[in-house]
Amino acid sequence: MPDPLLSITDLQIGFSTSRGMIHPVRGVSMTIYPGQTVAVVGESGCGKSVTALSVLRLIPQPPGKYLGGSIRFQGRDLLQLSEREMRRVRGKDIAMIFQEPMTSLNPVYTIGDQIIEAILLHQGVSSREARQIAEQSLRDVGIADPGRRLDEYPHQMSGGMRQRVMIAMALSCQPKLLIADEPTTALDVTIQAQILELLRKLQKERNMAIMLITHDLGVVAENADIVNVMYAGRVIESATVEDLFDRPQHPYTEGLFRSMPRLGQKATRLQTIEGMVPNPAQWPPGCKFHPRCHRTRQLAANAPADQTVEIRTAEGSARVMARCVHDLPQLPTSGDPELREILPQHWAACHFTENYDNAPVTLPVIEHQREVRRETVENGVEGVVP
Amino acid sequence: MTSQQTAAGTQQPDIPTQAQQPAGGRQQAADGQPLVRVRDLRTHFPIRRGVFSRTVGYVKAVDGVSFDVHAGKTLGLVGESGSGKTTVGRTILRLIPATSGSVHYRGQDVFALQGERLRKLRRHMQIIFQDPMSSLNPRMTIGNIIGEPLTVHGIAKGSEREDRVASLLQRVGLDPSYRHRYPHEFSGGQRQRIGIARAIALSPDFIVCDEPVSALDVSIQSQILNLLDDLQQELGIAYLFIAHNLAVIEHFSDEVAVMYLGRIVEKASATELYANPKHPYTISLLSAVPEPDPRPTRRRIVLRGEMPSPSNPPTGCPFHPRCPLTRKAAAEADAKDTASLVELGYPPSAMPAGNGKGVTLPILSAGETIRVLRKCVEECPPLEQKKGEGGHVAACWVTE
Repeated sequence: MPDPLLSITDLQIGFSTSRGMIHPVRGVSMTIYPGQTVAVVGESGCGKSVTALSVLRLIPQPPGKYLGGSIRFQGRDLLQLSEREMRRVRGKDIAMIFQEPMTSLNPVYTIGDQIIEAILLHQGVSSREARQIAEQSLRDVGIADPGRRLDEYPHQMSGGMRQRVMIAMALSCQPKLLIADEPTTALDVTIQAQILELLRKLQKERNMAIMLITHDLGVVAENADIVNVMYAGRVIESATVEDLFDRPQHPYTEGLFRSMPRLGQKATRLQTIEGMVPNPAQWPPGCKFHPRCHRTRQLAANAPADQTVEIRTAEGSARVMARCVHDLPQLPTSGDPELREILPQHWAACHFTENYDNAPVTLPVIEHQREVRRETVENGVEGVVP
Repeated sequence: MTSQQTAAGTQQPDIPTQAQQPAGGRQQAADGQPLVRVRDLRTHFPIRRGVFSRTVGYVKAVDGVSFDVHAGKTLGLVGESGSGKTTVGRTILRLIPATSGSVHYRGQDVFALQGERLRKLRRHMQIIFQDPMSSLNPRMTIGNIIGEPLTVHGIAKGSEREDRVASLLQRVGLDPSYRHRYPHEFSGGQRQRIGIARAIALSPDFIVCDEPVSALDVSIQSQILNLLDDLQQELGIAYLFIAHNLAVIEHFSDEVAVMYLGRIVEKASATELYANPKHPYTISLLSAVPEPDPRPTRRRIVLRGEMPSPSNPPTGCPFHPRCPLTRKAAAEADAKDTASLVELGYPPSAMPAGNGKGVTLPILSAGETIRVLRKCVEECPPLEQKKGEGGHVAACWVTE
């Protein structure tokens, strides 16, 4: 087995606020191999973006603080590097693209200035060579007439074009890992299809790893090799994309799949996950999902009274399994069920998944690449003809 | 606690009266007449330049749109940004002045009404916005936000208003004691519930839902969609449901209209449209939606280029520069009936982007020649009946 490109182990991040320390990331572990696309899925406040930013050490300190864990990239712990060493990693070995390209491009510099800056910084070439590299990287992302585009400003371009410029900029130094934080959320669906197609093509050519942060399960299903589902600052399920969609184990993952309207399946009523996405400033005790969990309610209805407890929820009160609420008062991470390998190559953190009690506590490491990819026809007419 | 109980108590007689009103209205409209009838609606925004703000052109955001919304039913309006779907919703409610065309609500000409009669009409036609934070006044309590329309329209005041607000809050799944809180104290999903409570406060029978769930988390979206569905069942409200998410539109709508560059290019019942799309734009739009299945079966058609600017739309069929179907037809047609995209000016002069500024991705790469049917370039196809279910209309010269 080759070494993973990136392994995050038990990462813990805190932010000090006026109301004290909050813990948006509480013991996250995940692994990425070269050429792999690892999706990180979750809702607002689950810690997915904080995890991504921390890989580049872009968490502002203060108020942010790395409280524990390690982020090993090609054998080095990024959390131990000096700021100077870290600057050499950023943009060169690991690059990042963001959701809203307009806010991450500087409006007062031309596209060319911004791409060339990174190339000059990392590649030790003359400015003429840097311009050539920049032109080539625009051409690689499908922008015609790149020589002229280099002299344009971000506001002169459409949203889809700007996202291509961001990708060109991120990839101009041939990074080994690309962190894509909701790269297509702000785009229309036909432009999203273009951008994802482009990322897949570039990834294949360069054997680049991608950490794909998203909340869109459709984007995950089509692009990811491995999926990590996050909830309340922890990974609660980790598996290959096929296993996760075929056999979701955690009740939250199950709920997400059920509550999503699907094309071609006109259900009369959607199933829901009740309650609200929890706020990092007020995590509930125990398993952070128990106030919304369907499974623990069902089990509690048939369990002996001494194994259940009554909790208050947004909707009133509910009876749940005591094990899900059990909390140890020392650490903010306490009381969470651990991530265990409940099936081969399939991790979940729920007391009431099958095999959980006997499953080993291991770090999720999955070296897998999907076989089936969706077939794409560029401007094709096959299939268009009804 | 007691105040909550009284609130719950008064809710019982309150809700049925709300339900009866529109239900009676539905019978009125049942004699074949649609609740809302939109005909040849156009909304053009002037583009002004220079010191004297001379009008140099128009952004044709909505350019000849016609449809009916029936009582108690949902019409889904889907399209990409810049297609004009939001402008349609706002023009119908007279939040934006129309350039031409007509909107009738129960046979009343909405654009002709003035003063008191217009104000009365507004009771019946409401809107729910995408971003619940920017559509709720941060300095008003929830109780005042929901209660204000009741006072303005002289429906309830004092303790009666309080009771109405409490029952509305309960109806949308919020604790009535929340009425003393401010918008910032709520999560996105709760704020959207508040926006819904305000919209139904006057017992309207038509609501424009402008992207009501696209700003919400996935697990919250389904809660809001179910709530809107329940309200429609109970109160008989008709929705114009505007969204860009095709799966949400399919789930929620009885009938669906697809917009491209200010026009409706296809309209059919939701089942028919998704099972049997006719317009090449609808087909590629549907194929672009990511499938939540790791072993996808459908093929994806990636369209080249982007939606052109509504200030300078292509001639003839607005979709012809990107259309795969006309290319295929042109390859088999007589040369005299076809035109080359290069001769028509694509590229080198790239088209302005859909948002009205800047340039988009080119439709052709260098040295490429693509031919399209001359008819598609010269004449705009009308929305006409296509093969399949009755009422399935599409605007395309080529499709069957």
